[in-house]
Amino acid sequence: MSNYFYVNPEQLTKDRAEFAQKGIARGRSIVAAIYETGVVMVAENPSASLNKISEVYDRLAFAGVGKYNEFDRLKEAGIRWADGTGYTYSREDVDARALANYFAQYLGQVFSEGQKPLEVEVLVAQLGNNIRPTKLYRVGYEGTITDEPLFAVLGGDAETIKGRFAASESELKPLSQTLKDCVSAISGPERTIPVSDLEACILEDRGARRTFIRLNDEQVSELLG
Amino acid sequence: MGLPLFSAQDDPGPDFYRFAKSTGLSAPQATESIDLPHATTVIAVRYIGGVVMVGDRQATGHYIASRDIRKIEAADRFTAIAISGSAARGIEFIKLAQLSFEHYEKMTDTSLSLEGKANYLSPIIQNNNLTTPLTVMPLLAGWDTSHKIGRIFEFDGAGGCYERSDFATIGSGSPFAESALRLGFRSDLDLEAALELGALALYEAGDNDPSTGGPDFVRGLFPMMVIINEDGFQEVAVDAVAARFKTINDRRTNSGGIAGGTLR
Repeated sequence: MSNYFYVNPEQLTKDRAEFAQKGIARGRSIVAAIYETGVVMVAENPSASLNKISEVYDRLAFAGVGKYNEFDRLKEAGIRWADGTGYTYSREDVDARALANYFAQYLGQVFSEGQKPLEVEVLVAQLGNNIRPTKLYRVGYEGTITDEPLFAVLGGDAETIKGRFAASESELKPLSQTLKDCVSAISGPERTIPVSDLEACILEDRGARRTFIRLNDEQVSELLG
Repeated sequence: MGLPLFSAQDDPGPDFYRFAKSTGLSAPQATESIDLPHATTVIAVRYIGGVVMVGDRQATGHYIASRDIRKIEAADRFTAIAISGSAARGIEFIKLAQLSFEHYEKMTDTSLSLEGKANYLSPIIQNNNLTTPLTVMPLLAGWDTSHKIGRIFEFDGAGGCYERSDFATIGSGSPFAESALRLGFRSDLDLEAALELGALALYEAGDNDPSTGGPDFVRGLFPMMVIINEDGFQEVAVDAVAARFKTINDRRTNSGGIAGGTLR
């Protein structure tokens, strides 16, 4: 005879959410913001090789917080999905919303049916052109997808950082100013993060097909002034 | 396509071709011989600062299928890939190679080495050529960013990959292009000399091979000329290409049309 114990779904969901939040809160946050001519993403990341922000496609980028192996697997799936879709149809048919929806469905499914929820939050950023808008889609551990208008914050400290950032940001600014705002929002008033601990990437048109640029330490210091 | 997630054991890694095969993205294979357009002559010549490539623009079946196809493409910033053989398969092959190199770069945050790219293509060519009559014969050339030299890799029908230290030709016009290159090649060619030799070799191929399209002065369509050096892949401007072929053509006209009349 099998043992089925009744578990209150409300309690189960609450427990799982708490578990995922705890995992995510252990890692550092990421801020992504739209600036005048592109999208900038900034993470506090002491490792120079274990990246949290990645190129996905010509105009798409991915950022993840939480457990590295879990969001890295989503990143790989995202790159495969984008390359596969562009190969089957056309490069211009690769759309951030479709990818963010797949992430949302997968995270939602694992949250309610898996052994344990994934301890991650991910972002799909899209640089707009004449056929698509510039977008920031944030996908939470339980599969909620939010379309963030100007900036998005991922990670445990999201609410505080969001508050700090919102105070400085109301309109589109040049890259250097937006990057400064992102960094000071992550670090807070009492702390300065060394440039070597920052991972900063942008999506910006340079006349080439690919728009993703990983900024090196010199470029970041120069922009921060 | 849904979200392509794999378990650690089945993960295709950064290999796009393996991923495409495992998910049924790549084309099914034809087993019967069919007569379809084929793409013809492309040559690559090493010079002291890199590689020059020249390719005609014609796809030929029983008659001319296209006068302006591109047989040389940038596979990435420092690599060019050219095709001859089945035009359909060749163009798909270019797309697959471009995508595979970019896929690897995005998945691993590092670029494949030039030799790694050449070796990567071998089994793909082998698989295509030994299982279908739609043979494709590519040519890979590029600037090796780690060793700071231009390098050329050619492939045989079974996918064997060979590095050439001088020049390489592919396609139906290659006997004629090869002859011109054999006479004119030196190991100390500079860019201008390499462009001139490459244009001359392609002119000769277009002159003697019915499937190779030479310069088309009526439509203003000229062979593609490409330079790959430490600045990356650059296509020579159409005007410069047109002027070069015009000079060669004038020499041939002035000499009364005799073979060898293009040389001076």
